[in-house]
Amino acid sequence: MTKKKFNWRTLCIILTFIFLYMPIGVLIFFSFNESDSTAVFSGFSLRWYKELFTDTATLNALKNTLILAVLSSIISTIIGTAAAYGISKMKNKYLKNATMSATQIPMINPEIVTGISMMLLFVFVANVLKISSFNGFWTVLIAHITFNLPYVILLVLPKFKEMDKSLPEAALDLGCTPFQSFFKVELPAIMPGIVAGFIMAFTLSIDDFVISYFTTGSGFETLPIRIYSMTKKRVTPDMYALSTLIFVTILVLLLISNFTSGKNKIELSKKAKKVMKIIGGSVFGMIGITTIVVLCISATTEVKTVNVYNWGEYISDGGYDTIDVNREFEEWAENYYKEKGKKVKVQVNYTTYASNEDLYSKIANGAGGYDIIVPSDYMLEKMQKEGLLQPLDLEKIPNCKFINSQFDGMFLYDNTYKNDSDKIVVEKDNKKTYGIAYTYGIIGIIYNSSQITEEQAPKAYERIESGEAGWELLFGEPIPDKDGKYQYDKDGKMIVDTTYLEELKGQILQFNNPRDAFGAAMYYLDIDVNNPTEDDWKAVYGLLATQKDYVQGYVMDEIYNKMEKGEAWIAAYYAGDCLSMMSESADDVELGFYYPKNKDGKPQTNVFADAMCIPASANQDNLELAHMYINFMLEPEIAYANAEYIYYGCPYDYTNIFDYLVFDENNELVLDENGLPVFDMELYEKNLAYVEVYRENLGEDYDIIYNADFENDLLNPNKLRDMFDKFAYKDLTNSYMEGTDVSNLDMLNESWEQLKVASTSMVGIYVTCLVIALAIVAYIVYVQIKKRKQRRLYWANTPTPKAKPKDEPSPDLSATAVIAIEKAKKRDKDSQK
Amino acid sequence: MNEKKIIEPKGETVATGEENVETKKIVQLKNVAKSFDGEIILDHINLDVYEKEFITLLGPSGCGKTTTLRIIAGFVTPDTGDVLFEDERINDLPPHKRHVNTVFQKYALFPHLNVYENIAFALRLKKVSEEEIYERVEEMLAMVNLRGFEKKDVNLLSGGQQQRVAIARALINKPKVLLLDEPLGALDLKLRKDMQNELKNIQRKTGITFVYVTHDQEEALSMSDTVVVMADGKIQQIGSPTDIYNEPENAFVADFIGESNIIDGVMLDDYKVRFSGHEFVCLDKGFDKNESVDVVVRPEDVDVVPLDKGMLTGIVTSVTFKGVHYEIIVSIKDFKWMIQSTDYVEVGQEIGVYVEPDAIHIMKKSEYSNMFGDYSSFSDELEHLSDANEEEE
Repeated sequence: MTKKKFNWRTLCIILTFIFLYMPIGVLIFFSFNESDSTAVFSGFSLRWYKELFTDTATLNALKNTLILAVLSSIISTIIGTAAAYGISKMKNKYLKNATMSATQIPMINPEIVTGISMMLLFVFVANVLKISSFNGFWTVLIAHITFNLPYVILLVLPKFKEMDKSLPEAALDLGCTPFQSFFKVELPAIMPGIVAGFIMAFTLSIDDFVISYFTTGSGFETLPIRIYSMTKKRVTPDMYALSTLIFVTILVLLLISNFTSGKNKIELSKKAKKVMKIIGGSVFGMIGITTIVVLCISATTEVKTVNVYNWGEYISDGGYDTIDVNREFEEWAENYYKEKGKKVKVQVNYTTYASNEDLYSKIANGAGGYDIIVPSDYMLEKMQKEGLLQPLDLEKIPNCKFINSQFDGMFLYDNTYKNDSDKIVVEKDNKKTYGIAYTYGIIGIIYNSSQITEEQAPKAYERIESGEAGWELLFGEPIPDKDGKYQYDKDGKMIVDTTYLEELKGQILQFNNPRDAFGAAMYYLDIDVNNPTEDDWKAVYGLLATQKDYVQGYVMDEIYNKMEKGEAWIAAYYAGDCLSMMSESADDVELGFYYPKNKDGKPQTNVFADAMCIPASANQDNLELAHMYINFMLEPEIAYANAEYIYYGCPYDYTNIFDYLVFDENNELVLDENGLPVFDMELYEKNLAYVEVYRENLGEDYDIIYNADFENDLLNPNKLRDMFDKFAYKDLTNSYMEGTDVSNLDMLNESWEQLKVASTSMVGIYVTCLVIALAIVAYIVYVQIKKRKQRRLYWANTPTPKAKPKDEPSPDLSATAVIAIEKAKKRDKDSQK
Repeated sequence: MNEKKIIEPKGETVATGEENVETKKIVQLKNVAKSFDGEIILDHINLDVYEKEFITLLGPSGCGKTTTLRIIAGFVTPDTGDVLFEDERINDLPPHKRHVNTVFQKYALFPHLNVYENIAFALRLKKVSEEEIYERVEEMLAMVNLRGFEKKDVNLLSGGQQQRVAIARALINKPKVLLLDEPLGALDLKLRKDMQNELKNIQRKTGITFVYVTHDQEEALSMSDTVVVMADGKIQQIGSPTDIYNEPENAFVADFIGESNIIDGVMLDDYKVRFSGHEFVCLDKGFDKNESVDVVVRPEDVDVVPLDKGMLTGIVTSVTFKGVHYEIIVSIKDFKWMIQSTDYVEVGQEIGVYVEPDAIHIMKKSEYSNMFGDYSSFSDELEHLSDANEEEE
């Protein structure tokens, strides 16, 4: 009997530990993986730890995070302790409770509210003081102190309450001044609370993402922000290594603090204290020295900065033996100024975001001070319309001639800007260029050819082998009625031929974002994604609803794992990422790739391009450097380094000989003695060599990235541009039907919600919630009934003493008691009858 | 409250109690009053503390004894009245500048310091040389029998040991007055007895004035030179333990100190009092003729005698065995007497009661008359409950 009980308890404990430590365990395990696959453990290696210490951007973010955590936790501990002291000494009970509640409210407040309100505050203050946005280290520090404070107070206040009230009196009694009493007696007595508060604040600060994200500006990036922004591409395994290191550090800190507070470890605690003192001292020393050095350097040389805000993992950063583009630029620009006889220190403040919408909210809310941003096509258009961007000075970007002709004029818009009263002014027929393409990509379909075989899925296999496969493998083929119209069942699901779907049931992955999911369906049905009609919305919703029964899941980043491990058979994703998956797949998984086309060979897919822009709010002093930076990105060496790193398409073409014509100072063609134009053949050959190397490095992947339309090389003809103009998503803020306020974007989100909510898993969640709620209600009712039964006898018969008003005579309690007893007797008699 | 029934301080007469008490006043409270949130805690009290005496403030919780102590220590400033220390007014002197030290109820040892550092605390503040500190701390440790405990963590000591540390810490400053706020309240009975003796010894050895606060009357009687009985923010009686016990000033004091039967009586003449329907000879005089008075008879002074020899007769309603004696409740003329007797009687038995003249003590009527002294609702349990409540304070 006892043995059984024992087992049950151990089981509970083991389960708890599995819940708590399983995720960390997996992370630590994979941080020692040789390959960067999260699916297969290919051998023990310290590669990612090595990689981590060469990743300057991450190390910089780590440094920022640590400095921030140390400073904010120290300051908030001091302020919090002072506040707790003040509160504990309050005499008025109501005021005390009110103050305590007021200090605790920010803790219950959702982080997002705190973050947004702090951001607004800082923008507001900057506006009032008429200074450019100062968001950055100091604002994040203030924000961190703010959200740490309640926790410090919460942990310190009970210690003041616990403390023997006569302790300070004893100190005074023995000759302390009130000041001495606080520092010699009260402070040491509450030290455990202060240390707990400090550690709490420290870990919260390291951990915080939401508030830092909203309050930071250009040039200051903490670790959580950096990790989060990597999600456009994927989190690199050196982050596992970093997380492991952080976890181990915190574990050690915890052990030390537990050891030191152990009552019977006095000897050890002294040693530990010494160690702590040394560590603390050296940390402070290091911070001090760095500050002094930085101040000295900044005092002697002029510093020019350019604040770049880009997607995470979206630039060649020196990891994996690649070029560190930002460092290269700093060096190059410093040399450029040196040749002009100026000693300038150039600094690229590089920070990252995870989605267009994140970027938009930052810029539109006026936070920032960013000089270069890289929005996607549709977002660029939206921001341009709202006057958030400024036109580029193409004369300062001579390399723009190398842009693939297909992108010519792509980001040319009527000049739009905000005037002094923040009204948007559009200068018609005054077109300016607002962006220089950075990358482009196409959505294709990746499939598992070791699972989609003749035996397991003959029809699908046959279809793929024919080379004419399109979206029908993911959606099935719609069966129109005799008028050629789509048919739906009562739930609005489209009726399709499910041959392929049945074969691939449960093996299909779909985008977990509405834009791409609905986009895929629209491309398939040849619907103009930017101008769908009511019927079109009905059709794409019906198609997705039908597909849902066959889908394994709606995923974004998880697709890597699933495809690489062979857990799913087919999915649509961005071509560059598909190529990554193909090269990383497990040994027994073979992945294939194709671009979806219709029967006439017409491409049915989305093309996107991300472009470098300068926000309207950019610092005027940095404009020169910002243009230089954009120009630098178009240097072939740099462009190809980025393209190889990002694995998306490179929108530049260095093979056109006419781009190498030589002009003189007056912008006239230089002619040779024969009257023929002169070409810079040296540069041309050099650049061609880069193109050659790039092609070689990409190997077979080159065709997949650039030859989307299998028949034609997209580098030359205008096919790609065609796709852009016809198929690429715009910002969708146009109204979906004339005469309505509803925009296509609203329709998109609404349909998406409808699609997701109607899921069976959601029903499961509702049922679970309902069951739990019912169980709680039932329990409460049960307890109340039981209580009432138990109280039945005495509760009604005993008068409850009430606080009496001062002047009124008190009611005769004994008289009421007598009456009550009489009643009880009567009731008893009744019940006996 | 307006009734000026305060007993005037009888400073001079106190000296008669013990021969080693000199008559130099060290602390004087003059007309001191204090109220918190409109509630009167101290109602214009006057108190003199003499050099080298062991004075105890005794009273139920809420009587103002601790407030009095804290006024002397300087933690509480009186609303009106003066506090004099060696004839100097110290109302506005902060605690750390006063030549008094306090032993707190819960010891208030500094949890982050060990035994040695706790005791040395006051000296370190005065920047005394390490050698002298060592010497004096060792001396103190010897005095409180804690040699060898220097490095111990105070949080790991027993209650008694913590108490000793607290005493040593307070005494190392060589204060002129040591204030003790119910210092033995948290100790168990046996330990409390030992510590009482030890405290008394320490007081004799050092010759320091002790002002001791307690609600335990037995403790007060056995340790003090002078006992100050307080109730409702007023001093009820000041006197030596024997005076307080034998000559209680009013019904409150009589009831609070030991067990008492307090009966309504009429003073017929000097040395003649009538109560319970019988005329008694007594040793008191100086009352008006036919003045109604409170008569106190201690339970141990009542003899149980055969019916025919009794001055009064009554029926036994309960008998409890108490070890040394039986506690007998007897109903005499509807008034329940308590009698402590070594003779056993049966419940329901009619017995005679005999009271010697010197066992009768006559008191003037006071606001406390008819509130105490009847054992009709007496029960051990109730008394314990009320004790527990007091200790919680």
